[in-house]
Amino acid sequence: MSPKCNDNMTNSERCTSQHSTNKHGLSHKIISHEEQAAITRVIAHTGQLLQAYNAESRLIEQTTERLGMAFGLDSVEIALTSKAFILTSRSNDHCVTTTRTMKAHGIDMGIVCEVQRICILAEKQIYDVEQVKQRLDNLAVPKYNSVIVACFVALSCACFSHLFGGDSVVFIATWLTSFISMRVRQWLILLHHNLLTVFFITAFTATFIGSFASAFDWGNKPELIMVTSVLQLVPGFPLINAVSDMVKGHVTIGMARWMTATLLTLASTLGIVLAVQLAQLGGWL
Amino acid sequence: MSELLLMLVDDAVFAGIAAFGFSLLFNVPRQALLACVLFAASAHAVRTLLLHANVPIEWASFIAATLLGLATVPWSRKVVIPRPVVTVAAVIPMIPGVYAYKAMTGLMTLHHQGYSVELQQQVLENGLLTIFILIGLSFGLAIAPVLVYRNKPIV
Repeated sequence: MSPKCNDNMTNSERCTSQHSTNKHGLSHKIISHEEQAAITRVIAHTGQLLQAYNAESRLIEQTTERLGMAFGLDSVEIALTSKAFILTSRSNDHCVTTTRTMKAHGIDMGIVCEVQRICILAEKQIYDVEQVKQRLDNLAVPKYNSVIVACFVALSCACFSHLFGGDSVVFIATWLTSFISMRVRQWLILLHHNLLTVFFITAFTATFIGSFASAFDWGNKPELIMVTSVLQLVPGFPLINAVSDMVKGHVTIGMARWMTATLLTLASTLGIVLAVQLAQLGGWL
Repeated sequence: MSELLLMLVDDAVFAGIAAFGFSLLFNVPRQALLACVLFAASAHAVRTLLLHANVPIEWASFIAATLLGLATVPWSRKVVIPRPVVTVAAVIPMIPGVYAYKAMTGLMTLHHQGYSVELQQQVLENGLLTIFILIGLSFGLAIAPVLVYRNKPIV
């Protein structure tokens, strides 16, 4: 019996089962309970990785669903919260539900790409469950060298200062300020500090160093050095993810992400305000 | 005319470099880095052009993000990389960071120095600008999956 014929199915169920039958022409093989549990564990791992490295909720939903279909399940449904996710797989009216808590690992698009690639290879029936499991367990995605990253992030901030109309002195000073604070940020992250602490201290460092430039009146717009060197801390990724999650119907997790981003901005602002008050320059506005 | 062109090129180049730094920070895979830079540069130039034509910044951001979102669809299908990997890094130069900080510092000054109409006005204006630009950007990016690929995955 094909689940396609069932009229009571929700839209997403119908959509996903069509997806599986049309695209891969899977016949319904019988999956034993143990097999289903193993498949569910692999899918849960995929979802966990995607969520931990800040993938958008829609992507998590789609990837877990497609992986489940590829392994011959009837449906995979997930419920996302900011700290955990619950996943139920269904096969021959037999459900397996599992919950995974999520440890935030920061943003890593390399891992998101890799997980997506593994999912597509499984969908094309190139990988079986065991191979997917092994690939996920031994996931090795190279990271860029941290000094190079700091150099280029600092260059980004310097570019912002140029876009806001700063001259070359401002450009160089912003680069330096930003580079030092970026190195501080990387060092703090290496020590596994809370992200809010990291943002607070980094913003403080950047603004404090930048305030010297204002005091000595460097360049055409010295205040730009202070303003743009903290732009590396703008939580753009959580903010964009938050709104796109809400647009696509994941309102709760979208709100959670929005709140996280607001807290991070607040932490950086506290750092800025403290530095400005210490430097006794009055308001930042 | 040539002045405008020069301004746009300057704008695109610096926005591209800015996006490059952030894509390294987000660990975007090597084969997608160039795309990040090019998409960011062109999207930012489009927005600057629109701003030059006196389009309000929220709408300019929305249009730029929509074009960016649609342009990444064929690219994403070709290289089999999910779109958010590139779109978010490319949109970073357009994120209203300064407005967000100004709204927050204003809020703190409002508490610290007591109420004043000018300060309240600054906080509200900057805060609303931040929210609307962000909504414009994310809605723009979401146009392709929401309107064109309704229940189908793009990659």
